[in-house]
Amino acid sequence: MKVLEAIAFFGVEIIFFLLVFLFLVFEKTLSIFGALAALVALSLLVGRYPVLHQFLRRGFSTYKIPSILLGLLFILVLPILLKERPYHIFILFNAGLFALLALGLNWQIGSTNIVNFATGASFATGAYTAALLAVHLEWPFWVLLPISGLAAATVGFILGLPCMKTKTYYLSLVTMAFTIIVYLILNNLDFTGGPDGISGIPFPSLGFHSFGSPIRLWGLEIPFQANFYYLVVVLVAITFLVDQRFRYSRIGLAWNAIRNDEIAASCQGIDILYYKVLSFSANFFFDGISGALFAFSMGHISPESFSFNVSVTVVAIVIVGGLDNPVGVLLGSFLMIIIPEKFQVFQDYRMLIFGLIILLMLRLRPKGLFPPSVRTYG
Amino acid sequence: MTELLEQIFFALMLSSTYALISVGFTLFFGAINIVHFSHGDVAMLGAFCGIILYGILGLAGLGSMPLWMVALIIIVVSSLAIGFVGTFFERMVIKPFRRSPLLMVLVATIALGIVIRETVRLFYPQGSNPQVFPRILPQTAFRLGSLQLRVDHLIILLISVLLIVVMFLFINRTRAGLAIRAISQDMEAANLMGINSDIMIATTFLIGSILAGLAGVLIGSYQTVVRFDIGLMGGIKGFSAAVVGGLGSFYGAIAGSLVLGFVESLVSAYVPGGAPYKDVFAFVIVIFFLVFKPSGILGKAAPVKI
Repeated sequence: MKVLEAIAFFGVEIIFFLLVFLFLVFEKTLSIFGALAALVALSLLVGRYPVLHQFLRRGFSTYKIPSILLGLLFILVLPILLKERPYHIFILFNAGLFALLALGLNWQIGSTNIVNFATGASFATGAYTAALLAVHLEWPFWVLLPISGLAAATVGFILGLPCMKTKTYYLSLVTMAFTIIVYLILNNLDFTGGPDGISGIPFPSLGFHSFGSPIRLWGLEIPFQANFYYLVVVLVAITFLVDQRFRYSRIGLAWNAIRNDEIAASCQGIDILYYKVLSFSANFFFDGISGALFAFSMGHISPESFSFNVSVTVVAIVIVGGLDNPVGVLLGSFLMIIIPEKFQVFQDYRMLIFGLIILLMLRLRPKGLFPPSVRTYG
Repeated sequence: MTELLEQIFFALMLSSTYALISVGFTLFFGAINIVHFSHGDVAMLGAFCGIILYGILGLAGLGSMPLWMVALIIIVVSSLAIGFVGTFFERMVIKPFRRSPLLMVLVATIALGIVIRETVRLFYPQGSNPQVFPRILPQTAFRLGSLQLRVDHLIILLISVLLIVVMFLFINRTRAGLAIRAISQDMEAANLMGINSDIMIATTFLIGSILAGLAGVLIGSYQTVVRFDIGLMGGIKGFSAAVVGGLGSFYGAIAGSLVLGFVESLVSAYVPGGAPYKDVFAFVIVIFFLVFKPSGILGKAAPVKI
């Protein structure tokens, strides 16, 4: 019986990965749609029948390590399977960048109920810090990655303090105004290149291996985009672990307490200012890292990539994925970034579809595709 | 001195168009405590409606009508049309979230803004390019003492002030206005008094959107070109003006619009190299207000409810 259960559980997992893979490799609109529909049907089936849900849950807790390893294997092998399609590896990398942004923002919107629209600004801070220091002072990428994070976290701290005096709509307006200010300044300053931005950012390198050259392993040649893909996978994994540490510690509890009732939380002795500013700085730190990675992978940045639309996209990812649920947010960034890229026919209509998806989601599933499960302690 | 007076006149004109939008924000917030973030995009639709109407009038062979008649038709018809469009949006996007948390309405209206902008960009012929707005107002200058003022700016200022006064009278002197004020104080009590809150909220959105549509036409006629994305900035500025003045306060919306209009036009006129940064200055002031006086110039500080 146990063996059958294990086979069934891993079978479901493998079918899921297979569908994801098929969704990625298919090129005709109809077949992409088919794979997507199968994925949706699978998740609806699980959502509809609690038996299935419990079965998967039990399976996951019994075979936690093997199933995570299988998932990691799939993620690691994906670029090899997609080696004929470098563009697909690139959009996966892009989804990873947005996953970094969305995981960070989730600490604010999801955990603490701070509706922050400054993601565009923090992303820009990281990217421009990295780009300016790399082009003018030729600092190496690996130094710049944490530095851009720290620079953005500092900005987050500075922005976070005044934001603490405001709430709800007012707070959202401050963050929006900040994003627009940063965008306008970048567009007009001379040393950031104005609307043309900064170009000529060199590819990072690890030892003798430049990120601009393909990976050669045992006779396999994987396109160079895979370098960035693997790097972003590592960073997303780190961010996810940080997220778990936050979530299951006093910090996560304090954030949730503030979200549920700020006054009650402060009566319990929670330092509201400290925890809110912490969520700002932590969010901005990872935004900054994501921005630096973006700058180095593109080789060229311009203010257009950091407009208000970026903020809206990331907020939408968090809401569609599931507020306060990191796994949901990861899946949300995968869905929201890759689906519009896959349907090339609708390429021009992507923002329109995006807006319609958000409106529909808010109506039909206000808690997101994957609502968080109730806390088991605390 | 002459230049300063001319700048003040321009700032007044600019402020009056902002006021048309920010009064809408204040109305909606006063009535049902929501912020309609796509209100600026509704105003943008007004400008496009004006362009289309001008084309239709030309096709119908009425282009030879006197200019003031064309202008009147375009202003009245576009404002009314946008009024109904805005009411439709309220029914479709805002009403379903009346009992949801604040985040929902916020994101829903931002998404609605995206949908409106993208629809215009994709389905209006060559929508992603700037569109020339017809010259419906005479762009000649007239002299007032030593001042050189533009006729169209004066007309814009007068129309805006007139409409804002009319709306003020409607809210404060009519039965319908009384009902709207009752809803904003306590919706349940108003319902018990026999006020149909759905209809009154729809009326509020009708009025607010008529003013926004008018703002769109007027902004189009002084900027002479409009693009699908002017609504984003217009909306955030209108909202900022309402907040600076005190969200929910009618006079506050006007005061806030004056602050923004004056900062923008004076910065671009007198700060060397300041013209590209006029919006930066405006938003820095907005942030300062939010942080140090969140209730705005004329708003009442809301006590914290437990």
